[in-house]
Amino acid sequence: MATKWPQKRRLIGTRVQRVDGSFKATGRARYSYDINRPGQLHAVMLRSPHAHAKIKSLDTSDAEKMPGFKAIHVVANAGKELFYAGDEVLAIACDTEEHAQDAVRAVKIEYEVLPHLVREEDALKKDLGTVPGGGQRKNVNVVSDDSSGKGAKGFDDADVVSEGEYGVAVIAHQCLEPHGLVAEWGEDDSLTVWASTQAVTGTAQQLAIMMRIPATKVKCITHYIGGGFGSKFGPDIQGRVAAELARKAKAPVKLMLDRASEITAGGNRPSIAGKVKIGAKKDGTIVAYEADVYSIPGHIGAATVKLPYVYTFPNTRVKQTAVRLNRGNQRAMRAPNHPQSCFMTDCALDDLAAKLGMDPMLVRLKNLPPNDQEKAQTNPIHIDAIRHTLYTRQIEIAAAKSDWKKKWHPPGAGTGVVKHGIGMALHTWGGQASGQVNECKVVISKDGSVLAESSTQDLGTAQRTVTAIVVAELLGLKPEDITLKIGESQYGRSTGSGGSTTCPSQAPATLQAVAAARDDLFEKIAKKLGSKKEDLSLENGKVVDKGRDKSWSWKEACARLGMDDARGTGTWTFAESEQPENRGISSSGVGGVQVAEVSVDTETGIVRCTRVVAVQDCGLIINKLGCESQVAGGVIMGVNYALFEENLFDATTGRQVNDDMEFYKLGGIKDMPDVVVHMMDMPERGVIGIGEPPTISTAAAIGNAVFNALGVRVPYTPFTPDHVLAALAKKGGKQS
Amino acid sequence: MSDAPGRNDSRAGLSRRQFLKGSGVTAATAALAGTAEAVVQAATADKTKEKTESMGPGPVALTLDVNGAKMETKVEPRVTLLDTLRNHLDVTGCKRVCDRGTCGACTVLLDGKPVYACTTLALEAQGKKVRTAESLVDGDKLDKVPAAFVKADAQQCGFCTPGFVVSMYAAFQANPSAGPGEIEDALSGNICRCGTYEQMRDAIAALCKVKRKEA
Repeated sequence: MATKWPQKRRLIGTRVQRVDGSFKATGRARYSYDINRPGQLHAVMLRSPHAHAKIKSLDTSDAEKMPGFKAIHVVANAGKELFYAGDEVLAIACDTEEHAQDAVRAVKIEYEVLPHLVREEDALKKDLGTVPGGGQRKNVNVVSDDSSGKGAKGFDDADVVSEGEYGVAVIAHQCLEPHGLVAEWGEDDSLTVWASTQAVTGTAQQLAIMMRIPATKVKCITHYIGGGFGSKFGPDIQGRVAAELARKAKAPVKLMLDRASEITAGGNRPSIAGKVKIGAKKDGTIVAYEADVYSIPGHIGAATVKLPYVYTFPNTRVKQTAVRLNRGNQRAMRAPNHPQSCFMTDCALDDLAAKLGMDPMLVRLKNLPPNDQEKAQTNPIHIDAIRHTLYTRQIEIAAAKSDWKKKWHPPGAGTGVVKHGIGMALHTWGGQASGQVNECKVVISKDGSVLAESSTQDLGTAQRTVTAIVVAELLGLKPEDITLKIGESQYGRSTGSGGSTTCPSQAPATLQAVAAARDDLFEKIAKKLGSKKEDLSLENGKVVDKGRDKSWSWKEACARLGMDDARGTGTWTFAESEQPENRGISSSGVGGVQVAEVSVDTETGIVRCTRVVAVQDCGLIINKLGCESQVAGGVIMGVNYALFEENLFDATTGRQVNDDMEFYKLGGIKDMPDVVVHMMDMPERGVIGIGEPPTISTAAAIGNAVFNALGVRVPYTPFTPDHVLAALAKKGGKQS
Repeated sequence: MSDAPGRNDSRAGLSRRQFLKGSGVTAATAALAGTAEAVVQAATADKTKEKTESMGPGPVALTLDVNGAKMETKVEPRVTLLDTLRNHLDVTGCKRVCDRGTCGACTVLLDGKPVYACTTLALEAQGKKVRTAESLVDGDKLDKVPAAFVKADAQQCGFCTPGFVVSMYAAFQANPSAGPGEIEDALSGNICRCGTYEQMRDAIAALCKVKRKEA
């Protein structure tokens, strides 16, 4: 049986400052982009300027004569078809970045420009087959058409039916540190990379395969990463290219994407748009839901959503179509597919509530998913067993904190030019431990210093601090007493930080490791202290013998290790967490409710989000300060999603017109609402991940708040003045 | 999302008049065409009023005063202050993000004024004091601005943080009794992707010694 969380907790669940905070705040934390190796070269990539083209000829002879030229690696040779503006062609390494930029400009390429499609509406009008595919190339592809219950016939049971259009735009991850790495070969043909990745061990393993070298010869180091949000799970093309260039040039090579490449080629969150129909009984019980939706996954694949979201309606029909365009491909982005699913469900629900003449909060309460009674018998802390209870409580808290009952009014009921609105939405997420092994090692030295080591990465979630808190809690020390080594692939097994799995994998692994190290310490020093090891415990920097009512300082006790040290290794996986005897160490499944308030200027169309209340659970909270940061950050990312963000493409050139940070809008501090975070601590459930869920429902809540303000649905994000004014005009002019 | 008033208006401390006077008509024309050479000439104009010296396009020797240390390197005149600090002098607290004067991650102090190092040429910074976020800690002693960021947890991935810290530090230097609104104005030229603004407001309130109303 695995060690469980201590019943009496001194640090866990409190607000602990991040242990690396001062290094980050003063620029001393070294990110991959900040690595400067002796003799390091700089590489620049050449990318397709065309949305769809074939390379007719490629002449690099002039480029190779340019000042400072060291090496070239071609990704796409003559004859290769390129499918978006930004598709990789080649890379050149030079002594300076400026020389590399010059050399890339000296490459002569002839392209055969082919027809392209970059806008959904154009592809739906005429399918030109401009994307990769087998025999028959099609831009528009029906992915699924699924029904449950009576399907669309369920509307026969409805007293009231609401139909509308809804959609969220494609957005970019906009990691502030771009994708990229420094690659360096050792004399023994080993490869070390400093990569901006959220999967340290995975990146090392993939590079070994790519470069056809033994996995034991690749090391990946990621001490700090400037944002990933789901887009940085491997070495990517640039990883392979940097390693090839470094091998050819016999020198370290740095290859980081420039901002335009980061936006066009570094991944995006796919869109969703389409028609939703929803029907209910007069009392607000929803009986049927139908959706016909389209998404843009990039030039390959599909991006599917889970509809309806959170709620379980008895009769549904959902048709999904992927519109593949000559654009960079989607990547996982913070709670993949959930914000879209939430928007297409919760916004439709509010429009239905308006038709019913009901407060949408009451419609939500009426349609919450039930508690699974069978599950309650076998595993009462499982999310399925408590879903209804959890959401009911969260809605109560959110309503109280937002003063919902006082502030909610029938849609469009306000007077004046600037109108106030309030809206609500619900979300859910898994956040369980990873299926693969996560590992941690703890070493207690004879001088009393303590080392915790894991290959896991800290994305900004304060994972380092989580490790420090768990170790310090069990050893009776302070978080800053622990030496932390993370983010290097040789420190054991870990998995990529995706699906909010890092904390629920790493915190239990650390717990097992430190418990084992503590037991090893007691085993080794008990005799020397003249104590029985079962009488020893650790409290506030002291080793205590309860049997003899004696105590020693931590250092004094550790000195008894002599020439030895004490150590322990811990592992954790989803399978271990599922063992009934391990219940309460980590588990899966959270809910969340958010309420947004907006003011909408009906003359200018400007929407301001003024306040967001976010109620969130995540099982046992390890660091309350870090949790609150994650939730507020998720909300703010959701505000950007709702109000500002969209990848915009020009139909004629096929290029993204806002592949920068000037015309790709992200809000600054003055654009942001007050964010009220309420964390529900449910320690009996064990650790559950928190990174992703809080960004899910913000956009839908804001969409509903705008609807509440105006009495007219603004169907598509971002809620920019043009979208708002168009919606108002459709309704028949500005409201007074 | 507008720039903070006064950002980058200190560009090399040159007024337009000085610029035209010092660099001559040829350089002014070149400046309109946006070449680095003209700015080089302008930057060195004061010392070479008699004859306009040309520099580049090859590397030129350069001495910068960075965080109180004299640092020497050779860079092409087109190289920005940001790239010179990061690629040539290994001063990496200022980050390259947008590289286009939008996001503020590269913010440094030039003679005490916050500037975007990505839109400032290294040559323009000669003879001026360059300060980066690294200067806001002395041994274990943290300046109160980064200390407030740590205490409020106003950082996540931390890549934008040094830029925010420098901007905020400059605002308090300019007006030690600034209120939260004024400080937020001064941060309008900085962008955070992780969404640390809520905690940043806690940090600002603590530094301004005001209570945030229970939001």
